[in-house]
Order: sequence, then structure tokens, then C-alpha cells
Amino acid sequence: MTLAEGVQLVSFGLLAAMMIAAALGVVLLSNIVYSAFLLGIVFVSISGMYVLLNAGFVAAAQILIYVGAVNVLILFGIMLVNKREDFAPVRRAWLGKVATGAVCLGLFALLSTMVLGTPWALSSEAAIGDGATVMIGLHFFSDFLLPFELASVLLLIALVGAIILARREFIPDEMPQDTVGDALKLPERPRELVPASRDGAES
Amino acid sequence: MDFSALAAQLNAGAILPEGIVIITLITVLVGDLIGGRASSRWTPYLAIAGLFAAIVALVYQWDTANPIAFLGGFNSDALSVVFRGIIVLSAMITVPMSIRYVEQSGTSLAEFIVILMTATLGGMVLSGADELVTIFVALETLSISSYLLTGYMKRDPRSNEAALKYLLIGAASSAIFLYGVSLLYGLSGGQTRLSAIAAQLAADSSDAPIGLVVALVFVIAGIAFKIAAVPFHQWTPDVYEGSPTPVVAFLSVGSKAAGFALAIRLLVSVFPLVSEQWHFVFTALAILSMVLGNVVALAQTSMKRLLAYSSIAQAGFVMIGLIVGTEAGYASMVFYLLVYLFMNLGGFTCVILFSLRTGTDQISEYSGLYQKDPLLTLGLSICLLSLGGIPPLAGFFGKLYIFWAGWQAGAYGLVLVGLITSVISIYYYIRVIKMMVVKEPQEMSDSVKNYPPMRWNLPGMRPLQVSLVVALVATSLAGILSNPLFTLANDSITHTPLLKAAIAEQAAAMVSHTETVETIAIAPQ
Repeated sequence: MTLAEGVQLVSFGLLAAMMIAAALGVVLLSNIVYSAFLLGIVFVSISGMYVLLNAGFVAAAQILIYVGAVNVLILFGIMLVNKREDFAPVRRAWLGKVATGAVCLGLFALLSTMVLGTPWALSSEAAIGDGATVMIGLHFFSDFLLPFELASVLLLIALVGAIILARREFIPDEMPQDTVGDALKLPERPRELVPASRDGAES
Repeated sequence: MDFSALAAQLNAGAILPEGIVIITLITVLVGDLIGGRASSRWTPYLAIAGLFAAIVALVYQWDTANPIAFLGGFNSDALSVVFRGIIVLSAMITVPMSIRYVEQSGTSLAEFIVILMTATLGGMVLSGADELVTIFVALETLSISSYLLTGYMKRDPRSNEAALKYLLIGAASSAIFLYGVSLLYGLSGGQTRLSAIAAQLAADSSDAPIGLVVALVFVIAGIAFKIAAVPFHQWTPDVYEGSPTPVVAFLSVGSKAAGFALAIRLLVSVFPLVSEQWHFVFTALAILSMVLGNVVALAQTSMKRLLAYSSIAQAGFVMIGLIVGTEAGYASMVFYLLVYLFMNLGGFTCVILFSLRTGTDQISEYSGLYQKDPLLTLGLSICLLSLGGIPPLAGFFGKLYIFWAGWQAGAYGLVLVGLITSVISIYYYIRVIKMMVVKEPQEMSDSVKNYPPMRWNLPGMRPLQVSLVVALVATSLAGILSNPLFTLANDSITHTPLLKAAIAEQAAAMVSHTETVETIAIAPQ
């Protein structure tokens, strides 16, 4: 994909402004739901940047993974923990905020000096553009075969682990009688959290 | 590129041990699915057999003619073989000690073993990875399995807290590491193989660009988190206290060894341009780890926290070998890790045994244990004395070798700090032993008074006993009969081309340095 110089510049400006504004919103707004949705806008703008850089595959993956999976997961997390709690205002909270801001600015200054001061070794090869999927596939089955296969083991174990953490250990001995009143309750014995080792020692 | 040529280039035989581990873990997983609860009678033994087969395969990998596999993505040289061996061995000793523990806590055993073996796999690939993508995926495999293992006792709130803390701090440190790695990719103009990056960096500039220094700092942050060096150690005590004890045993040996393997390979091969800087940073990390680890351990009341701080301090000792960068330095690292494997795992076996019988791991509860359980007292005493570095035991020879290597290379300050802090460490190790042995019968703690009689015939106790005795024998004999281990450690260094080149370079740099010093000294006359 080739765009005119002017179009590229304007769209870069738009995307950058959108990204920075949304990112500031994520950090500064106090309502966490707004922050989560603004984070989605940040991810979409980043994928727009990838399109401008002629990396269509990465842009699509960015939207699918970050907006489609990560951000939705964050929203689910917020939905499940919708407990409203008013925190007492912390005294001298501004001190912490100023310190955080100073650290972030310092880090930003360091990184931008580094980016500007480094003679980057630019690859001389032309961007592959739309042939990227074929090229990525070739790499997956030649020099990146090992990480590709290892990632499948990683995904398997992440699945197993997620099931272990999420499954219920206790199934009630008898079903409750009042099925209408308890229709929305999970069938589980009420259990206090107990240290496993002490519990084990008694048995 | 046709298929047969590609298959020959991949040289997939180099990851045969990893393949065996994967097949074993899938067999355990599927066998547990089919067999149900009854399968827990054979799954741990299958896992041990598989890990043993992996060690045998590793022995055959020693000194292969063609160590490079996956088009430069994986390196099966002697260094990686020895580190993979350490990791597999630590998993192999961890499995028998976890059987009874997991059964008693009422969680399922097969999944525990599967996750443990995945962590082992991640560590093994990390030790041999020679390319940035492989390094990162292997690091994440190791980390994510470790988080899962840490939170495995999900009914225990301390385990939940430990898992959450470990996950958050670990994710942050992996992000920082990934940023550093991405800088390396950019600085080298799109290379991912470590040797290609090093060549490109060396060709581009004679002096170190600032980007390389920033990349170095970020990469060190990731590595130091894995080996729990001091400014990055805050997760260690909480995670060690909360997570299941067999997991702690694996984390303190296997995961740490993988971190050291990564440190050696990445720092030595990619960062020779900034070698002064990384030596300086690691010197600071080593001194901080030795001092803080040993001093804070003095004040601990929980046995697991004590071992956590002691493992931080031990990582500081091992770092001395990395910093001096001579042949003896690297060899002493490998030797110390081998010895540390047995003594630390032996110590953790004793802690597991005690907490299974009494349900606590407070140090004060150990008082008077000698009268009720001599075997446990003997095992814990020998392992702790060895960790402290008392002469006829293995730990003494490990420390001696490290300090000797440091002294030879002229790192006097580091060695002195190491000597002083290891004297401090003897105090808190001996305190536990004194608690167990010297107390009169009337001073016995309540949990020891109610100590149940030994019943080794309970399911899962026999393997625990075996692993205790193996660790005990290895700890007491590895000191006196240390020659085979010593030869193994030395050979693993001399047979590694990467380290050979680095050592030669270091020696040349030292010679030229002394020459310049001499010319400066001579000049005024």
C-alpha cells in the first residue's frame, strides 16, 4: 500500500493525537470503565500506525488480540468486580503524584535521548507489505520452529492452569430443596479459606 | 529449500531431552484424564522415569559434533547440557518430595506434576536458547508455569497472595526484559540470533552507543528478577513463604539455574562492548545480595523465609563466579550450582517432612526435635551446615572454589565480602541446629511433644524418604568425592566455544591493561 506523502502525514498526526489523548484519559480518569474503553482506542490507534508502516498483518493481529481479547477480558474483570467503595482521601496524595510524574518524565527523557542519540542500524531490505503472511509462515516452519512449538506447550499449560484455578473443588452432597430461591446460587458448600498445610496435618 | 535439506539443517536431535520431557508430560496428562484419581499411583513414577530418560539423553548430547540446531535458534553446547542437567535433576528430586504434600493438601497430583514438568521444559530451553524469540518464549513458559505452581494451593490464602504478587512483579519484569530485547533487535538492524547481533554491534561501532547501555540495564532487570538478586528480590520472601514447599524447592534451584544460564549466554555473547558496565552492575548486585540476604536472614522466625533469604545470599556467591569471568570462575559457578542443588533440595525435603507431621514451619517449633526424629534432625543439620559452608561437606568445597577463583582473578573486595557474610550465615544456620539438638526434653515445643510416630508406609512417604536420603548422601559425599563433579564443571566450560573465546578476550584485555599500567608507572622516570 502506498499513500501520498501528505495523506501519510495527516493520518499520522490524527492517529498520534488520538492515541495520546486516549492514553492520558486512561491514566487520568477516575472511572475505571471509561479507562478500559479508552484503552481500546489506544490499541486501535496503534494498529493504525502499523497500517501506515505497511504492516497489515501486525495491525490485524493487534486488533484481534488486544482489542478483541485483552480489552474484553479487562472489561469482564471490571464487570465481575463491580463493588462500589468510597476511599478516604489520602493526605498529601499530590506528593506521590508529583514523584510519579517526575519519575515518568525522567524515564521518558532518558528513552528519548537514547532513541535520538543512537545510530540505528536500518535494514536495507524493502518492506514486504502484503506478502507478510507467507513470510511469517516460512519463518515459523524454519528458523522460528522451536519457539513456535514451545508456544503450543505454553498455551496447553496455560489452559490446564486456568482450569485448575477456576474449577470448583467441592460438589454438594445433596441438592438444595428450594430450587426457586437458590436458582442463581452456585452449587457449592460454603467453605472458609484455610491454610492447606494445617488442614492436611489434621487429616 | 526442500524438505529433506531443511530437516537436516534443523538438527532436531539436539532437543531430544526436551522432547522426552514433552512426551512424558503429555502421557501424564492424558493418563490422568483416562485413569482418573486412581492414576496418581503411577503418574509421579512415570514423571521421574521420563526425567531420568531426559538426563540419559543429555549425557549422550555431551560434546556433540554439531551443537547448533534450529538454524541457530538453539545451542546444545556443553554449557547448556550441564545447565539443562541441573534443571532436570532438580525437577526429578522435587517430584518425589511433592507426592505426599500434594495428596495431603487435597489437590490433584497429576496436574501439579504436569505444570512442574512444563516449568522444567521452559528452563531447559532457556539454558540452550541462542536467539531472542526462543529466549523470550522459554522464559515465559518457565514463568507462567511458576505462577501456576505458586498458586496451586488455591484454598490457602497465603498461596493466593504469593501467586498474585509473583504474577504482577514477574509480568512487570518480563515487560522490561522484552523492551531491552527489542532494543537489541533494533540496534542490530533486525537480527535475532545472539551471535549475529554481537557481530553486527561490533561491526557498527567501536565505542558503546547509549542504546546498548539502556538495553543492558533492561535485560539485567529481567535476569536479576529470575535469580532474585537484591534490588529485584522483594517477591522472594513472600512467594517462598506462601507457595507450596516443593514449588519453593524447585524455584530456588531449577528456576535460579535457568536464570544463571541465561545470564551467562546473553551477557557474554551480546554485551562484550559494554563488559565493564555489566561487570560493575553485577558486582553491585552480588555485594547487595550477599550482605542483605545474610543479614536479613538473621531475623527470620519462619523456616521458609529463612531459606528464602539464604537462597538470595547463595545467588550472590554464585554471581562472583560470573563477574570474574575466568575459566575457573565459570567452572566454580557450575560446581556450586550442582552442590547447591543437593543441599538446598535436601533442606527443603526436611522442611516438608516436618510441616507434614506438625503443620508448621516456625523455627521455634523445631526445638527438641532430636529426641523424636533423629533422621530428620540429621538430614536438616547436614544440609544447613553444608549451606553454611562447614568443612567436610559439599558446600564448603563449592564456596572454597568460588572464593579461590575470585581471589585468583583479583576480585579481592568481593571475596572478602563473601567470606564475612558466609561467617554471618553460619550463625543463623547453626541457630536452627542448636534449636533442634541442644534443647532439654522439658524445653520441647508443643508440636514436637505431640509428634506423631514415624509411618513410612503411608502412601507417598517412601519417595520422600528416598529423596531425603539421596540428597543427604550427595551432600555429605560430594564434598569428599568431589572430583567427578569438579571435572564435569571444568569440562563444561572448556568444551564451550562461546566461553573459550570470551575467556581468551578477557585474558588479553587484562594483559593489555597491566601493560598500560606498567607503562604509566614507568613513564615518569
